[in-house]
Amino acid sequence: MDEKKTLLEVKDLKVSFFTPAGEVKAVNGISYTLGYNEVMGIVGESGSGKSVEAYSIIGLLQSPGKVVGGTIEFEGENLLEYDEEKMRQFRGNKVSMIFQNPMTCLNPVYTIGNQLVEALLCHDKGYTKEQARKRAIEMLELVGINNAEKRIDQYPHEFSGGMRQRAMIAMALICEPKLLIADEPTTALDVTIQAQILELMKALQKKENTSIIFITHNLGVVAEICDRVSVMYAGHIVEQGPVNDIFYNPQHPYTKGLLASTPRLDEEGKERLIPIEGTPIDLLNPPQGCNFGPRCRDCMKICLREKPPFAEVGEGHISACWLHFRDQAGKEDRT
Amino acid sequence: MAGYIVKRIAVAILTLLVIICITFLLMNAVPGSPFLTEKSTPEMIARANAKYGLDKPLYVQLFNYIKNYARGDLGTSLKMQEGTSVSKIIFHQGKFALSLKLGLYALLLAVVIGIPLGCIAAYNRGKWIDGFLRVVTTVGVAVPTFVLATLLLVTFAVKLQKLPTLSGSLPDFKSYVMPVISLSFYYTCYVAKLTRTSMLDAINQDYIRTARAKGVKTRALILKHALRNSLIPVITYLGPVMAGIITGSFVVESTFSIPGLGKYFVQSVLSRDYPVIMATTVVLSALVILMNLVVDIAYKIVDPRITLTSKED
Amino acid sequence: MDGKFAKLSPFQVDPDKIPPVLPPLTEEDFSPAADEEKASMVEKHKSVSYWRDAWRRFRANTVSMVALAVFTLCLLFAFVGPKLIPYSYGDQYRSSQKLAPFTYSKGEETVRSIAGSCDGFYATALQRGSITALSKGDYFIRYKGRTYAFTLTKAVEKSVIILNSGAEEPLIVVKESAIKNGEYKDYKPIEFTDTPAEGATEIKLVNRVFPHVFGTDSAGRDIMARTMYGTRVSIIIGVVAALIVLVIGSIYGAISGLSGGAVDFVMMRIVELIYSIPEVLIVLLLQVVLKDPLQNWFDTSTSAFAQGLGDLGSGIVSIFITFALLYWVTMARIVRGQVLQLKQQEYVTAATALGAANGRIIRRHLLPNCVGQLVITTCLQIPSAIFLESFLSFLGLGVSAPMASLGSLCSDALETLSLYPYRLIFPGVILTVVVLTLNLVGDGLRDALDPRLKK
Repeated sequence: MDEKKTLLEVKDLKVSFFTPAGEVKAVNGISYTLGYNEVMGIVGESGSGKSVEAYSIIGLLQSPGKVVGGTIEFEGENLLEYDEEKMRQFRGNKVSMIFQNPMTCLNPVYTIGNQLVEALLCHDKGYTKEQARKRAIEMLELVGINNAEKRIDQYPHEFSGGMRQRAMIAMALICEPKLLIADEPTTALDVTIQAQILELMKALQKKENTSIIFITHNLGVVAEICDRVSVMYAGHIVEQGPVNDIFYNPQHPYTKGLLASTPRLDEEGKERLIPIEGTPIDLLNPPQGCNFGPRCRDCMKICLREKPPFAEVGEGHISACWLHFRDQAGKEDRT
Repeated sequence: MAGYIVKRIAVAILTLLVIICITFLLMNAVPGSPFLTEKSTPEMIARANAKYGLDKPLYVQLFNYIKNYARGDLGTSLKMQEGTSVSKIIFHQGKFALSLKLGLYALLLAVVIGIPLGCIAAYNRGKWIDGFLRVVTTVGVAVPTFVLATLLLVTFAVKLQKLPTLSGSLPDFKSYVMPVISLSFYYTCYVAKLTRTSMLDAINQDYIRTARAKGVKTRALILKHALRNSLIPVITYLGPVMAGIITGSFVVESTFSIPGLGKYFVQSVLSRDYPVIMATTVVLSALVILMNLVVDIAYKIVDPRITLTSKED
Repeated sequence: MDGKFAKLSPFQVDPDKIPPVLPPLTEEDFSPAADEEKASMVEKHKSVSYWRDAWRRFRANTVSMVALAVFTLCLLFAFVGPKLIPYSYGDQYRSSQKLAPFTYSKGEETVRSIAGSCDGFYATALQRGSITALSKGDYFIRYKGRTYAFTLTKAVEKSVIILNSGAEEPLIVVKESAIKNGEYKDYKPIEFTDTPAEGATEIKLVNRVFPHVFGTDSAGRDIMARTMYGTRVSIIIGVVAALIVLVIGSIYGAISGLSGGAVDFVMMRIVELIYSIPEVLIVLLLQVVLKDPLQNWFDTSTSAFAQGLGDLGSGIVSIFITFALLYWVTMARIVRGQVLQLKQQEYVTAATALGAANGRIIRRHLLPNCVGQLVITTCLQIPSAIFLESFLSFLGLGVSAPMASLGSLCSDALETLSLYPYRLIFPGVILTVVVLTLNLVGDGLRDALDPRLKK
């Protein structure tokens, strides 16, 4: 396992939605890298741009959404330069994705097997139909579906929610992709099923050596599965670092707020949950300074005027907040 | 499945019974006798009434109708072809076959042309062809059948003399062209619009996103994933289409002088030939109800989620 | 975090700032911001009312706006148009039979040639008059240097013309045949008085000369006047039928939805039954069945209501009855669906929990939430009612002459279709345009009022 080698590098990605009311900058310049075999969590409240960011990687952005700047490099190739056919070959093959609501994500009028086999056959990998079916059964077994031989010919409505999400995972992994994007894969599931799916993903990640981008608003899930975490707020990454640093040594006021508003079982004596006050900003008219400024308890004058730069707050741990630069006031030498 | 079909047939028979009752009551609500003419004397009317059982109490008459229908006897014409059995007029003189053929061709055309047009429009959403088809179909559902039928008649039969003015008993292909087109045009446009809408609706569904994420080709995305789902509302609409085509056939058969059931029904209503009105109403209603049944079963084939046990909305 | 983290990360949002450069910072910059300052950074979203928002959406829909404009033109055509042309839907002008579009009858042509530069409005002073002892035909009156034309549809005896206002000169009345090349020959003056002479017959003057834009029919009636009238009749039928459906359907649906349980079950089975009846068959029957009893009622009843309906004719009234009997089921289903859906909404539960009365819940919560759906369905019901009426009239069952609807005009045109196809085309096109624009407006309303439906 070479953690240093980069699988995916996102540089200054900007995505906007061109609505009748104006340009909504859903993702406004985010950058990160993802190594092979790494699980990165992207955390943020709804509307923070985390799903939009993921969709632009896999080329699923729908009009009126559009990538307006930056690059996405996958194994050194800029995905944004791919033409439609190349992108299609890429989707599902090198990168695949699972979604939030397994109830609506499978086509109701085709059997599970049909949809799994299709995922394999639409990338010319030299499978015959029989081989593809065999592979599909293997995959179903791999994701823990009992009696896969029989189950493969059933329709999605004959599967429970958890089973469908397992089938979705099987479908996503059937082409052995290098990267799996999981967009809130457990949010729509019961808590017990959530845990099962997370266990499954963890096990499969180890087994198949797949990198995962795990998008969620649930910090507990992140702690469970991720190596590194990016915290997003209003189209920006505000803090990024190893999962332990984020959890035990959060630096950005937003991350702190998120953690304070999440119930935790490991910290005793902390009974009260503290909500983050205010509502997310209107992305049509983002504030001039820090996006979080208007909601921040420690907001300073500069925060309302300038966007904060990232400060390196630990090894591989960065945070974009003016608080980290407080001692720079009045100093001429700044590096 | 079998249980469902039995239940549906039971409901269909009940509906037919209600239709028979309503029709019977309506007919008898008309004052005067079908035999009342300038020359007729009260004795003649009474004699005629007695001959056809019209002197019996209403409920007895109604019961007789139902009993005879159950046996397949549709009664005897009182006026239009006096004394002739209605089933002979409808079935043996080819009226039913003629209307059925016309109706089925129109239905076929509406489906075979309408669905692909809808797909083409949805597939090319926002392009000129979509715009063009939208204009055509939107206008198409605003043109009444009789306007279209008569315009076709004037243009192709009278002015250009390419097609026959009177289609008669539809002896050849040429005589079919105008009646079938005018009968199906509205529904072709409607089916195309419906297919486009439900196709676009399907395209926005989560499972299409999943399929795209898998790397499915755009063509397969439309033809495999979106089409089958979007056919469900189209199939639901085919029941009303059949009813509408029968309605349209009244106009089309009159315009093109086709001696079919539709024209016959209108004539029987205008001349108050009770048994004929009853019989045609029952036959036409049975056709519509049968079509609805077929549609419900077709549903099952396209959509595996429907278990055909309950259909509450 | 007292300064020990103050190292800029090389990993910055803004690539222009790589290598990272901080702006000049002062102590002031790091003083806490006041709440007002924070609040000023958040631009408040103006909240817009439902109707204003819907109207904004509707206005943004070009197609619907154009359709609305065209439909308004149709309304003007139907309701204002008849006031602008000198012909009425029932008047028969004997010399004006079977005219092609944009032509005049021979008599009108003569008046035009005499009148020279004066085209159109002539006899303001001669709105009405009586004339006697003249045979049928077109006449022209020369009065104070102007020419007026009128048509006699039947012969009258005494030769007196009565004017509404006191005229000073004798009128000149000539027969049409006496005019040659714009000159009168062999005319004789006619006496006139201010008061009607005994036995004088009132006649109507053709006081304006206007082209027969759509031509005339075999009875000499102006087709444009008839089309205007027919459009009006069709639109009124459509609107009234839609309102009938709205009222019956919403009441039925609301009762069914609100009652629930066994009542709902029975009511919905009835709806299903009516739904599966091929209604057009019944409609045709109803048309025939209702004709005589209705006519009887109109003739015998003295109530104003019956008289008013009688003016409409039995055909139209039975169309309304048909709609009241059969066509409300879709509306009832929609309303019931809405009611059931809304009954489960939290705010209704909350209102019930807070002790709001049923009537108040219906008024304050259910109605405002249903109203969008109701407006859309009613709007789309109008064209379908117009369609049905035209269909019935086409088969000879709807309105009867001299009344006209767009359907009956098309039907009238059938006999002479090969000779005068335009008689079908004009009402046919207007019928299509009315239905088309109403459909488009309805679609626009749906998009505007029910944004959930729009993707």
